[in-house]
Amino acid sequence: MIEVKNLTKIYNRGKFNETAAVVDVSLKVKDKSIVALTGPSGCGKTTILSMIGLILTPTSGEILYDGENVLLASDFWRTIYRRQNFGFIFQHINLLPQYTTLENILIPLYSSDIEPWDYEGKAREWLAKLGIADRAEHLVEQLSGGEQQRAAFVRALIKEPKYIFADEPTVFVDEETSRIIYNVFSSLRDSGKTVLLSTHDPELMKIADDTYRFCKGRLV
Amino acid sequence: MIHMIKKHKNLLNYSFDCIKRYRMRTAVILITFLVATTMISAVLFTKDGLEREAELSVEAAPDLTLQYLKGGRIELIPYSYADVVSDIPGVEKVLKRTWGYAGVGQYTFVVVGLDPEGLGYSRGVITSLEEGRFLTPEDEGTGNIVIGKLLAYMLNVRVGDDIILLSESVEVNKFHVVGVFSDASSIYTADMIVMSLSDADSFFSMPEGYCTDLCVYVSPAEDPVSVASKMNSIPNLRVLDQDLLLRGYKAAYGARGGIFTTLWTILLVAIVLIAFSQAIVVGHESQFEVGLLKTFGFSTLDIIEVRLVESLVLGFFATSLGMLLGFSYAAFFNAPGLVDILLGWAYLPREFRLPVYASLQSIFSIYAVTVIPLLITTVVPAWLNAITDPELAMRRAAA
Repeated sequence: MIEVKNLTKIYNRGKFNETAAVVDVSLKVKDKSIVALTGPSGCGKTTILSMIGLILTPTSGEILYDGENVLLASDFWRTIYRRQNFGFIFQHINLLPQYTTLENILIPLYSSDIEPWDYEGKAREWLAKLGIADRAEHLVEQLSGGEQQRAAFVRALIKEPKYIFADEPTVFVDEETSRIIYNVFSSLRDSGKTVLLSTHDPELMKIADDTYRFCKGRLV
Repeated sequence: MIHMIKKHKNLLNYSFDCIKRYRMRTAVILITFLVATTMISAVLFTKDGLEREAELSVEAAPDLTLQYLKGGRIELIPYSYADVVSDIPGVEKVLKRTWGYAGVGQYTFVVVGLDPEGLGYSRGVITSLEEGRFLTPEDEGTGNIVIGKLLAYMLNVRVGDDIILLSESVEVNKFHVVGVFSDASSIYTADMIVMSLSDADSFFSMPEGYCTDLCVYVSPAEDPVSVASKMNSIPNLRVLDQDLLLRGYKAAYGARGGIFTTLWTILLVAIVLIAFSQAIVVGHESQFEVGLLKTFGFSTLDIIEVRLVESLVLGFFATSLGMLLGFSYAAFFNAPGLVDILLGWAYLPREFRLPVYASLQSIFSIYAVTVIPLLITTVVPAWLNAITDPELAMRRAAA
């Protein structure tokens, strides 16, 4: 379980442009569930998601994974924890344009001791499931927005992480891709994964087990 | 252990992939390095060649060279000094030498007259001949000469030919070529005409009983410096040992010609170019990539390793290629555009070939001044990005 206690993020602290992006947020994410963070743009959803995903350091507060406050651990330990347990899907997709779809999917594996290309079959299976098997060898720039988002999904799932963090996964995709994404999230939960996502999408919120609504950085 | 090796293999593969995939980044580094190292190499290898020339020149020089000073200026030295110096313990032989410059057409060449009593003491490049023979005591006053290869080429003469030189007193002097120096030395013997002492005295209209300087050879068991120190008490005498000559030659061949100014300017330009290319051209792309990799679980050390390998491979490849081009530019094409700055001598003819030599020290220096700045300008920003929160690194790159 993920437990967040009094999480606060203040940008440019002590400067004239100080901004409190997230203030005193506490929430719980049960294992094997889908949790949605929602609210208007700029309410701090992405910031909370990033902090829980350990890619942004909070100003104060605690983040507990299975009871352990991971913020007390070193950056190296958090990196390893991320490598072993997390998969990220970004709002802006963030595929590397110099690589093909398949290569992008395998990049996260290069930081481990496994042979990335041993996962080629698995990647192709996922690409087939998401309907873009024929795009495996295409460069990212040759893919549509929806195809890129599906490729980003496969990249997040290739290591079969325990936790999946998805930031507005349906915001730039068409209805068909959105439906595929709902199904993937549901099946991930059914297979024991925990999904934490930020979204405006009411359909996506429908499949969530819990929904947290934010406004101006605070839980409402 | 196996796991570590596998992981490093993956990181290595990723580094090589980066070189292939990030064509802009690779091209910027390659082009910057090629330009910088080609220029640096051409200058440094020429400097090496010139220093080697200086060493060759000194090897051919006597142990001590004595000059006469009058009012602090160098003047002709009386023969009587040879007798005084000969009595100093440790001195094996004192030879008279007369030298000066002569014009042939628009060019100026060095004329050296050697003492017939000491031709056997000649050593180094001065004894290295490509054609013909060196002077013997029998050549005294005969007009026989040995000339430099460049001079022979310029005047289109060979052994057995005669050449005409205008003397000090504007009289026509005919000389007979009996030998041509080899190109073991590009500068020292290139423009040299060696003749007997009496021929040189006559050519330069030297006053009776005087020569230009005295060449002192010390006994093999003696230290030339300590022998030189015994000459300190002789009035109006300037003693030059080989170290002093070497410094003088190096200054003449190198620093005065603008070598060092050119070299440091090029180095500065190279380092600025490298820093610029890294910071401006590839900065954002690299920052975003580092943030993303960190998100995937690449540790700070992993990222440093990736960038280090990438920079080392690119740096060494580009620098080595640049050195090869720089060497070819200087050695085979005579460094067009640079040769005048490098040498700075007005009297060297166009046909003169730059002495080019790649010393190990220069090769290491070039790697050091190019690869190390590249490592710093790639690894340090990568490290700074890697210790930044990945989310912030990606946002900043996208901004």
